[in-house]
Amino acid sequence: MANVAKKVSWSGRDREDDEDGRAGETTPLLNGSGPGAAGGARQLTPSSFLRIGQLSNVDLNEDIHELQTELPRQRPNEIPHNEKLLSLKYESLDYDNSENQLFLEEERRINHAAFRTVEIKRWVICAMIGILTGLVACFIDIVVENLAGLKYRVVKDNIDKFTAKGGLSFSLLLWATLNASVVMVGSVIVAFIEPVAAGSGIPQIKCYLNGVKIPHVVRLKTLVIKVCGVILSVVGGLAVGKEGPMIHSGAVIAAGISQGRSTSLKRDFKIFEYFRRDTEKRDFVSAGAAAGVSAAFGAPVGGVLFSLEEGASFWNQFLTWRIFFASMISTFTLNSVLSVYHGNAWDLSSPGLINFGRFDSEKMGYTIQEIPIFIFMGVVGGILGALFNALNYWLTMFRIRYIHRPCLQVVEAMLVAAVTATVGFVMIYCSRDCQPIQGSSVAYPLQLFCADGEYNSMATAFFNTPEKSVVNLFHDPPGSYNPMTLGMFTLMYFFLACWTYGLTVSAGVFIPSLLIGAAWGRLFGISLSYLTKGSIWADPGKYALMGAAAQLGGIVRMTLSLTVIMMEATGNVTYGFPIMLVLMTAKIVGDYFVEGLYDMHIQLQSVPFLHWEAPVTSHSLTAREVMSTPVTCLRRIERVGTVVDILSDTSSNHNGFPVVESNADTTQVAGLRGLILRSQLIVLLKHKVFVERANLSLVQRRLKLKDFRDAYPRFPPIQSIHVSQDERECMIDLSEFMNPSPYTVPQEASLPRVFKLFRALGLRHLVVVDNHNEVVGMVTRKDLARYRLGKEGLEELSLAQT
Amino acid sequence: ALGAAEGLAEELRVAALPGDLPELEPECRSLLAAFAEGSAALAGCLGRRARPVRLCQGCRGHYRRLLAQYGTIAAGNSSESHNCAKSILTSDRLQIVVTLSEFFNETWEAANCANCLKNNSEGLSNSTEEFLDLFNKSLTCFEHNLQGQTLYLSPNNYTEVCKNCNETYTKLNDLYNNLQRMNRQGGEAGHSAHLCIDVEDAMNITRKLWSRTFNCSVPCSDTVPVIAVSSFILFLPIVFYLSSFLHSKQKKRILILPKRIQSNASLVNIQEKYS
Repeated sequence: MANVAKKVSWSGRDREDDEDGRAGETTPLLNGSGPGAAGGARQLTPSSFLRIGQLSNVDLNEDIHELQTELPRQRPNEIPHNEKLLSLKYESLDYDNSENQLFLEEERRINHAAFRTVEIKRWVICAMIGILTGLVACFIDIVVENLAGLKYRVVKDNIDKFTAKGGLSFSLLLWATLNASVVMVGSVIVAFIEPVAAGSGIPQIKCYLNGVKIPHVVRLKTLVIKVCGVILSVVGGLAVGKEGPMIHSGAVIAAGISQGRSTSLKRDFKIFEYFRRDTEKRDFVSAGAAAGVSAAFGAPVGGVLFSLEEGASFWNQFLTWRIFFASMISTFTLNSVLSVYHGNAWDLSSPGLINFGRFDSEKMGYTIQEIPIFIFMGVVGGILGALFNALNYWLTMFRIRYIHRPCLQVVEAMLVAAVTATVGFVMIYCSRDCQPIQGSSVAYPLQLFCADGEYNSMATAFFNTPEKSVVNLFHDPPGSYNPMTLGMFTLMYFFLACWTYGLTVSAGVFIPSLLIGAAWGRLFGISLSYLTKGSIWADPGKYALMGAAAQLGGIVRMTLSLTVIMMEATGNVTYGFPIMLVLMTAKIVGDYFVEGLYDMHIQLQSVPFLHWEAPVTSHSLTAREVMSTPVTCLRRIERVGTVVDILSDTSSNHNGFPVVESNADTTQVAGLRGLILRSQLIVLLKHKVFVERANLSLVQRRLKLKDFRDAYPRFPPIQSIHVSQDERECMIDLSEFMNPSPYTVPQEASLPRVFKLFRALGLRHLVVVDNHNEVVGMVTRKDLARYRLGKEGLEELSLAQT
Repeated sequence: ALGAAEGLAEELRVAALPGDLPELEPECRSLLAAFAEGSAALAGCLGRRARPVRLCQGCRGHYRRLLAQYGTIAAGNSSESHNCAKSILTSDRLQIVVTLSEFFNETWEAANCANCLKNNSEGLSNSTEEFLDLFNKSLTCFEHNLQGQTLYLSPNNYTEVCKNCNETYTKLNDLYNNLQRMNRQGGEAGHSAHLCIDVEDAMNITRKLWSRTFNCSVPCSDTVPVIAVSSFILFLPIVFYLSSFLHSKQKKRILILPKRIQSNASLVNIQEKYS
C-alpha cells in the first residue's frame, strides 16, 4: 500500500539509496506526456495525492514514528495570544516572475519600442504618485488646520466666558465631550469599516515591502478611512500626529495608480496593465512611501532613504532615481498648493506638513564641547524610548487579548480622548506660569488666571495641535517656559502618547515622540543654562531639537533616514553630525533593552517578517528540518476534479503547487517539472482550459497573460467557480502555464543559505528536492520566519490561527 | 534751531578741503545740513518719548520731514547739474547718512506706527483717537477714585476703583481686542499683526495697573467642581479596563501543528544545540 505513494515522497536520507536504483528507469519516461499519460492518471484517486504523507510512513525511520505517537498529545490547542506566534492570516507576496510559455510569447510579441513606452509609463506613474500624495497631504493639512482652529476657538471662548463668571467645570466638560465625540467618529470608521487603517501604517507598509501581504492594506477604502481617521484623531486632540499616516497614504496611492484601476470603486481604466504584478506594484509602493515621507516632513532625500532603510529588500539604482523623482514632485506639489492657500502663491517655502523652522541664528551653532552633552541626551532618549516601548508592549498585549471587540475599541479611544482633554485642562488650571503675550505668536492664548495681557504658558503646549507645540518648543525665545511647566508636560505627555499609540484610530507616533523629546530637551537646555550661568551656547531651542531627535530615535530606532529627515526638516546640514550621534546612541542604548516600536508591533501582530539575515546561530539547521512536508503536488496533466479538490481543501490552504511529471506507471517516482500557483489554477479553471475542450473547438481563444493580470490582485475564491461533474473528469494541461524553472534547494542546504536565497529574490515558494530532483518539501515564508534569536538563543515560533 | 543749523554749517565749512578742490557742492552741503538737523531732532524726540511710549503720536512730524529730506538727497534733483546722491550717499565706506536713515526707518517699522496713523500719515487714525480718548478717560477715572488713598500704602484695598472704573476699563479692553482682531484679519495683506506701539503700551500700562496694582481682575476659581469632574473622567478608564479584563473573554489562538519532519522534536533539538 505504501508503494502507491510515489508522486510525493518523504524520501528521508535513508530512502535515497534504494531509490537510486530506479533513477535510470525514470528518465526515459520523462518524455511520456499527452493523452497517454492523461489516460493513466485518470485512474488515480485524488485521495492518493493528499494522503501520501501518511500512507508512506512504513518506510520512515524512528523520527516519524515518534511524531505519529505523539500526535494525539500535540493536538491543536488554544493558548492566549503572545508574541511568539506566526499568524496564518498573512500570506506572502510573489515577487518571483513566472516565466511560463505565455510570458515568453508576450515578450516576443512586444518589441523594443514598446518596452521603452513601459519605461516612460513608469516615470509618468511616479509623477502622478508624487502629485496625488502631495495633494492628499495638503487636504489633510488644510482640513486639520480649520477644524482644529474651530474647536480651539470654541473652547477658548467658552473658557474665557466661564473664567469671568465661574463654572469652569463646564468648559472642561465641553472640551472633553468635543474631543471624545470627534474621536468617536474617527474610531468608529476605523474599527468597523477598515481596521487595517489603525495606527500609523508604517509597520504595515514595512511588512508589505518585506513581502508580506497584509489584507486590505493598499486599498482605496483604506486610504479614505486613513485620511478621514487622521483628520479626526488630530482634531480630537489625541496625542498623535498626521505625519506617519502620510506614508501609508502615499503607499496606497502608489498601489492604486500603478494598477490603473480600483476594485473598491469597481472601475478599470484599462491603463498600466503591464504593472499588474506583485513585483511592479512593490516598486511603486516603495515610491509611494517615499513620497509620503517627503510630503510629511518636506524631506525628499529622507523619503528615499526611508524606503531604502525600512522597505527595500530589493533595490536598484534606476528605481532609486525614480523614487527620488516621486518624492521631489510630492514635496513640490505640497509646497505650491499650500503657498497658494496661504496667499503667497509660488513662494515655495513651506515644504512639509511639519516644518521645524529655521535654525540658523548664531546662538544655534554648536561647539565641540557640546558633543558629549548631545551623546548624553542620546542615552537619555534611548532609555526613555525603551521605557515607552516596554509600556506600550504591555498595553498592546492587553488590548489584543481583552479589547478585541470593535465597540470596546471605540469606547477605549473615546476614553483616551476625554482623559487627554482632562489632563490638559487640569494642567493648565493648576499652572501658574504666566507669560506676556507678544503679538500673535501664540495661536490660542488662554488667559485663565493670569493677569490681563498675559497667557498661560502651559496652554501653549497643551491647548494646541501637537505640531504647533513642537515648533513652539524649538523656537520660542529662552524664558518662555518655566522648568516646572516643561517637567509636568513631559511627564504627562509621555504617558498620554504611550497610551494613545495602538488605539483603533489612525494616527502617527512621530509628532508625539518629537514633542516629548522637545519638552525634556528644552528642560535640559534650561538647566544647562542655569549650571553654566547663562553661557551663550546653552540655547534651549537647540537642545529641544536634539532631545526630539533622541526621543524619536529611541522609540522608532530608525537611523539613516531619520537623520536625513531631521536634517531636511530643520534645513540645517551642520546639525547632521550631532543628530547622527544622538540617534546612534539612542538606538544602541534602546536596543539593549527592547526593540523598536514598529518591529515590536509587527511581532505582536504575528506577522511572518523576514529580517535582513537569518539568526546567526542557525547554520546547523538544514532545509530538511526547516521545510514543510509532505507537499501536495500536481501532475503535469491533471484531472480537473483533483485540482478542484485540492484547491477547496480548507485544511491546507496552499498557494503554490510543484508540478511533477505525470507517469502512466504509478510506481515510478516523478521529478519536479515546474511550479504553479493557486491563482493561475483558478484562472485556468475559470476559463475552462481543459484538454478535452481544446480538442472539441479548434478555434478556441488561447489564454493570454492578460487574462491572469486582469484577475490580479483579487483572484476569485475556488468556491465561486463552478465545475460540473462531467468537467471533473476532464484533464488539464499545466505545462504551458507553470513556471518551468522554480528555485530549488537540496535538503542539506543550511538555514542561512535558504534564507538568503529566499529573502534576496523575494520568493514565495522554495522547493526542496533530493538528488533525483524529486520533491521532498517546500520552504515558505512562515517556515523561515519562525526561527528567531531570542534572549536565550534560537527560538521557534508556533503557527496559530488568528 | 536756526542757530544750531548755522553752527553746523560753519562746522562743515571748517572741515572742508581747500577751496580749489570742492569736495561737496554747496547745494548738497545744505541738504546734508538739513538732514543732520532733522535726524538730531527725530532722535531727540524718540528718546524723550521712550517711556511711556508715545512715539507715533509725538514724532511723526519729525519722521515725515526726515523722510522727505532723505528723499531729496537720494533723488538728486535739487539742481540739474549736480548729483548729491552720489557724493553724499555712496562716496565712502561708512555711508553714515544711509545708516542713519535705515535706523530710523527700521525703528519706525518695528514700532508699527503706520498702523495707528492715517494712510497719508497726516494724523492719528480714527480708531486710535477713540482708543486714546478712552484710555485717558480710564486714567482719569483711576486718579479720581484714588484720591484720598495713597497708592503704595494699602495695596489690597482698591475695591472702589475696581467698582467705579470697571465699565471704562472693560470698554477699553474690548476696544483693544476689537482693534487687534480687525488688524489680524486685515493683516494678511502685508501688515504685521502688531498694533502700533503707542496703543499696545497704553493698554499694557492700564492692564498692569488694573490686574497687578489694583488687583481688580480676580477670576472665580471653582476648584471643587473641576476636581470632581476631572476625577470622574480620570476614573472612567480604570473602570473600563477593569471591567474588560474581568468580563471580556480572553482571545485565544488556535495553534496549528506544522507539517514537518521532527516537528515537535526540533525545538528540543535547537535547545540542545545551543544551550
